[in-house]
Amino acid sequence: MSPEENPSDLAPHRFQKRGFSYERAIKYFFASNAGLTIVILALIIIFLLKEGLGFFPGYQRELQVYRIAGLEFVDISRKNLTAHEQLTSVLNRAYYAEINGRCIKQMRRSQEASALFNAYTDQTGPTRDLVLNNSQAASSPNSEMLKNLKANYEQQKAKALASLTATPHLTQMERRDLIESVRSRAVNDTDDPLFVTTLAEEFTAAQHKQAEPLQALRSTIDSFSSAGSELSSLVSEMTESVIATKEKIQGADILEKDRKTLLAAASGAKDPVEREKLMTEARTSLADKPDVEGPIQLLLEHRPDCIKAHTALRDASTRIIGQLPSSLTQLEAARLLKAARHSWPFFIADLEKTPAAINAWKPDAPVPLTDSISSFLTGKDWVTGGEWQDFYGILPLAAGSLMISIVALVLAIPTGIGAAVYVNQFASPWEQSVVKPIIEFIQAIPSVVLGFIGILVFGTVLRDISLWDSLQWIPGFPLEERLNIFTAGCLLALMSIPTIFSLAEDAINNVPSAYAEASEALGASQVQTTFRVVIPAAFSGILAAVLLGFGRVIGETMVVLLVAGNRIKIPDFTAGLGTFFQPCHTLTGIIAQELGEVPMGSVHYRALFVVGILLFAVVLTINATAHRFVNKMKH
Amino acid sequence: MVKTSTAIQINNLSFAYGAKQVLHDVSLEIPARQVTAFIGPSGCGKSTLLRCFNRINDRIPGAKLTAGSILVHDIDINRTDIDLQELRRRIGMVFQKYNPFAKSIYDNVAFSLRAAGRTKRSVLDGIVENALKNAALWDEVKSRLHASAFGLSGGQQQRLCIARAIANQPEILLMDEPCAALDPLATLKIEELLSELKKQYTIIIVTHNLAQATRCSDNTAFMYLGKVIEYGSTMQLFENPKEPQTEAYVTGKFG
Repeated sequence: MSPEENPSDLAPHRFQKRGFSYERAIKYFFASNAGLTIVILALIIIFLLKEGLGFFPGYQRELQVYRIAGLEFVDISRKNLTAHEQLTSVLNRAYYAEINGRCIKQMRRSQEASALFNAYTDQTGPTRDLVLNNSQAASSPNSEMLKNLKANYEQQKAKALASLTATPHLTQMERRDLIESVRSRAVNDTDDPLFVTTLAEEFTAAQHKQAEPLQALRSTIDSFSSAGSELSSLVSEMTESVIATKEKIQGADILEKDRKTLLAAASGAKDPVEREKLMTEARTSLADKPDVEGPIQLLLEHRPDCIKAHTALRDASTRIIGQLPSSLTQLEAARLLKAARHSWPFFIADLEKTPAAINAWKPDAPVPLTDSISSFLTGKDWVTGGEWQDFYGILPLAAGSLMISIVALVLAIPTGIGAAVYVNQFASPWEQSVVKPIIEFIQAIPSVVLGFIGILVFGTVLRDISLWDSLQWIPGFPLEERLNIFTAGCLLALMSIPTIFSLAEDAINNVPSAYAEASEALGASQVQTTFRVVIPAAFSGILAAVLLGFGRVIGETMVVLLVAGNRIKIPDFTAGLGTFFQPCHTLTGIIAQELGEVPMGSVHYRALFVVGILLFAVVLTINATAHRFVNKMKH
Repeated sequence: MVKTSTAIQINNLSFAYGAKQVLHDVSLEIPARQVTAFIGPSGCGKSTLLRCFNRINDRIPGAKLTAGSILVHDIDINRTDIDLQELRRRIGMVFQKYNPFAKSIYDNVAFSLRAAGRTKRSVLDGIVENALKNAALWDEVKSRLHASAFGLSGGQQQRLCIARAIANQPEILLMDEPCAALDPLATLKIEELLSELKKQYTIIIVTHNLAQATRCSDNTAFMYLGKVIEYGSTMQLFENPKEPQTEAYVTGKFG
């Protein structure tokens, strides 16, 4: 219809459009900018999918090798062996906790005395060495210097002795005696002071004395420990043979891949001579099909032995649980014993199921592609770069991400929304003008800076606080790890508070003032107006704020990489709320940490891309949902 | 004792928003159980005057009374010991743009009662029904009391706001151009409602619509530039204005 389409139909007229339109050029410029971002986004998605989707067939092949080579068979036994080792370790910890708990006084006294002496030697060590070295080197040449050094040493010694503070379990007198004995030491004396060694001996003696009534427990633990030795030697014997098989299969896989590359190059080569050369090369590199049948048959011959070892271990375990004491006197020891007793029936049940599993195992059962998908999504292990077998299960990472998000949101939602409500509804204009920029300023802190503050300040302070006697009722205290889910969650809460605050404040601000006016005109107080009218009207906007805060938390990388502790393991939920004080790894952190080190195109590399796709999908879903809530608010 | 027939007495009231003086030396006596209309061109201060009666102007930063007093049933409502919530329960207000809350019809009407701490369901049921009946809305909404108020038409929403304002049995009802956002049919319904409501309530209505003032009100005050130019019975003011400015306005020479 426009005149440009068929200008010949129309005669020129007074308002004829002429030449190049400046306005249109501007329009196209902005359109191209918008278009570019969309194209880039599409390219990113395509790249992610291209790199990521190759993961599943690759992982399928790895799982296949895992089965064919017999690693899976060995893992049936190995799993029980690991459980056995863990139980033994828990029992041993309980045993030593009991003994040390009973002679806690001697232990503390000994520790404090050594700590005092160590503090002294740390402070005087350098000056003392100078004196010793110089007096040995030559007796006369520089007596002036030696004198100076000695004076220096004496000065440092006095200072160090003065700095030794009182400790709770040593009396004033004992401390003074210790200090005096140190003062009178010869400069070249290398023995510990008598007092320190005496206390150490007293502690050892106390340990021996306390161990006597626990001899029954000791021998029970020892017999349990040795009950696993048969299985242990079986497993290590089988391990060697299956790893050899696996290496052979992998070698063949690599040769096969090379051959395919050569063939592809050959079919693409234009020169017939060149092609013939490549073809010959390909033919010669045809790998021998590795013999898997032989080793597997050998492996399966271990079946009766395995079953026998398991049955023996089960019988021993069933007997030993009855011999364990029902409880111990020390708190920590009793807790560990209880944990061992709790997991014991599961251990025995697993042992009972094992013979059937061993008999049912088949090396040639197929591994469908769905197995690799479900093993990725529901796998409990993320093990990479090991000699045994790589597993790519995201549950440990997803659990870590989720738990950190829970901590962050539990802290950030009340704080962010509460601050938003206060600033918008109750604060004076002066407070508004101060508080709002300050909260929004938090966003300006680079996350890496926040991360090292988390490591150096927050983590340390939190651990020190967790040592306070008055806080021992909190589950998980004292902290075993300085960097854990809770510290990461706290920092992420700090990062998401500005997001939640700003968006919630906007949502509250967008509630028409007519609502608040009507409410107050009806005799509602300001607080009633806020909570019964304004917040309900802003509810979907506040929900959107929370969701976007969640999106921010789950996508954050730097802080969790630095502060979450990076232990790839599903948190031990038996610890109750204490679970939140365990270290973990996250979906984002694993990509940042491992992507730089993996070989391009390997299964591991692709696994990280799939994690990236998953994160992308999660954050996209969260943002889309938040968007819907925002739209809903604009009636 | 003040005559029981005077609901609000305004003595030499001056009012300012910050530095901007809006009302100058306004004095009026508003009789109880009658409809009093405030008319005048835009910006003459009639809405401001209305909003002084329940002190809803307090919400606006910088708004302050600079002189004079307002007595509601003989009590100065600008005293410092006034319970604002109680004052506003006694003086209901309906706004120009209907503004029901994002709640159900029932919860809208029950809002002021709940805010006052009355939460017993059986009591609320009766009061809500009564208020909706008085606002001539009951028959239209009785089957969907718990549906969102936003599902109602504009006229229905404004009547819901009236029901909400009278649920607490106020003595005085302030209406700030209640029909400005409504079509003629809905306006007619509200006007009919006014003649019913004035049997129970003292009503003060701000309106731009001169015809509406003649139809519904017993007394009319004409305001111009923050001053009351003329105040008297509606019939007298429209048919026989004393001031030339009033005459010019009611005959449509300016406004």
